[in-house]
Amino acid sequence: MWLVFQKEIKELLRDRKTLFFMIALPILLFPLLIGGTLYVGTNVVKGAVEKTRTYAIIGDQFSDELVGKLNEIEQFSLRKLPSKVQTKEQIIAYVKEGNIDFVIKIPENYSSKVLDSGKITLKLYRNQAGLKVVESKLNEIVDELSASYQTTALSALGLSESQKISVITPIEVEEINVADERETQGESIGGFIPYLIFMLCLQGAMLPASDLGAGEKERGTLETLLITPIERTKIVLGKFFTIAFAGVTSALVTVLSIALWTAVLSKGEAGEVLVKFMSSIDAIDFLLVFFMLIPVVAIFAAVLLTLSIYARSFKEAQGYMTPLVFVTIIPVIFAMLPGVQLKGIWAWVPLTNVALAIKELIKGTMDYVQLFAIFGSTAIIAGGLLAFCIYWFKQEKVLFR
Amino acid sequence: MIEINKLAKKFKVENPKKLSAQDKKDPRLQGRFFHSVREVSFSCQNGEVLGLLGPNGAGKTTTLRMLSTALQPDSGSINIGGFDILKSPVEARKQIGFLSGGTGLYGRLSGRENIAYFGKLNGMTTAEITKRTAELSERLDMDSFLDRRSETYSTGMKQKASIARSVIHSPKVVILDEPTTGLDIMATQTVLNFIRDLKRDNVPVIFSTHHLDEVSELCDRVTVIDKGVTVFNNTFDAFRALDEVSLHEAFLRSIGKPKHQTTDL
Repeated sequence: MWLVFQKEIKELLRDRKTLFFMIALPILLFPLLIGGTLYVGTNVVKGAVEKTRTYAIIGDQFSDELVGKLNEIEQFSLRKLPSKVQTKEQIIAYVKEGNIDFVIKIPENYSSKVLDSGKITLKLYRNQAGLKVVESKLNEIVDELSASYQTTALSALGLSESQKISVITPIEVEEINVADERETQGESIGGFIPYLIFMLCLQGAMLPASDLGAGEKERGTLETLLITPIERTKIVLGKFFTIAFAGVTSALVTVLSIALWTAVLSKGEAGEVLVKFMSSIDAIDFLLVFFMLIPVVAIFAAVLLTLSIYARSFKEAQGYMTPLVFVTIIPVIFAMLPGVQLKGIWAWVPLTNVALAIKELIKGTMDYVQLFAIFGSTAIIAGGLLAFCIYWFKQEKVLFR
Repeated sequence: MIEINKLAKKFKVENPKKLSAQDKKDPRLQGRFFHSVREVSFSCQNGEVLGLLGPNGAGKTTTLRMLSTALQPDSGSINIGGFDILKSPVEARKQIGFLSGGTGLYGRLSGRENIAYFGKLNGMTTAEITKRTAELSERLDMDSFLDRRSETYSTGMKQKASIARSVIHSPKVVILDEPTTGLDIMATQTVLNFIRDLKRDNVPVIFSTHHLDEVSELCDRVTVIDKGVTVFNNTFDAFRALDEVSLHEAFLRSIGKPKHQTTDL
């Protein structure tokens, strides 16, 4: 069996296409993707924030204070409205045509003494698209002024400091998070990690699997191999371990590449968070995550090899394997749904249970006894699929289709 | 010596309804099964070359696949030097060398690595493989290219490396399934010389071909299969005697076709 494994690995490592997809692509593609996203994202946001917005004020005579605060904002540039723009419709049309970014109308009743003036409604005319920045800047000013006017008004009513606070915020929810940092972070990314690892394992194993079964058939080497004295079970096992090895290697290389490049490209900030988060996970939990992946990779390798042996050509094999990605996504998506926990029926759904277990391990809330039951049940499924693959490989109708 | 007696093999037909009217008339089609080989018998002594002839679809490849143990016969027996290969196919495979038109080499391995892999699969030690590879390399003049990846080989080089791979374990019998199909003159000559060498080494060779000049050049015995049944099994001289003028006509007579009628040979 190891003879077949050694030869297959040697061939695999000499195949530029496989090496490219398994090693070069994750190492080179992810920095490009992550770097590109960070670069574009940062520059777009920076550009949007720093862009100067033109604006006009109607009723500026009613509040010097508000006008003064708006003038202090560097990105806002005051313009005068043409005299023909007076009515609401005319203002809307003027903004809509893009002549100005926004218009603020200050009402006549504007006063810092809100007890006398009543509720003040500022009108902001703006085009919805791309002007969130304006709204947030304006809200900052309004919040500051509102707080100041409220305090003045409440003092005028003769309320004490504590009464003022009670009136302003009568009810407040104070959240006390009992989850530690690792659990909180694990909950947010723990569902995504198994999805990523499963997909990478599957994708990494697909190309070698197509080559090792259907590829051999297509090149005419399979028949030559079948008539050597080695037992067919050993041939299957040799090929099976090669596919599993490719899947695991591909996943590990990609995950390491993502971690490394994220740390490098985010100039250490994300790196620190990552390192802190990673270091909060026990070594034993890391090992257990890897341990849980073994039967999953075995399931993938057995199914892929079974499909590959059945196919007449490399192309046919790839055609059979593509739907497998969707079949795998579904149970992993289940594990990402809120409310799905490693309890009851979910503990018995293949792949979903492993994905949930990995999530629990990352969060640090794993019930270890259950872990072995999940490992056991997944290993039994993997063993069953491998046994079927061996049976399949001995069928003349499969080998000589 | 190889002795094949009343070999038979049938295959399930996936969609019998989709077969053409002519196919449905074929006597080998019985219900859902196609009896590819119905009764094939022949024998080949040590040092003899047996030419296996027959029209396309006669059952030659199925017969050779059963001989190589790739397929399991439904009935009949295969005996190599008194050893029933059907009872223990794994052991029997050590006695058989098999070569077809498709070279069966792994392109990303060198010729030497291909040969060594099959040597190891046949249970040989590294020392045995090294010695035997050197011997075959000299005999087939492969020194200049044996360490290059086999995907870079010319057709002739591939065929030489394939020959070496198929006989690395010094088999007691060699089976060749149309080994010269698609080869140029030089590569064909390499294969024919290889068969001559085997004959000289007293190894029995079973050789299926469509080229009657190769039969004339090499074969001691001729077996003709038609529609899964042995229709001629005798010496080459007896085959030639079927028509003194033309081997082509002799072949047509062996499968019961009237003189001058063309057939798909």
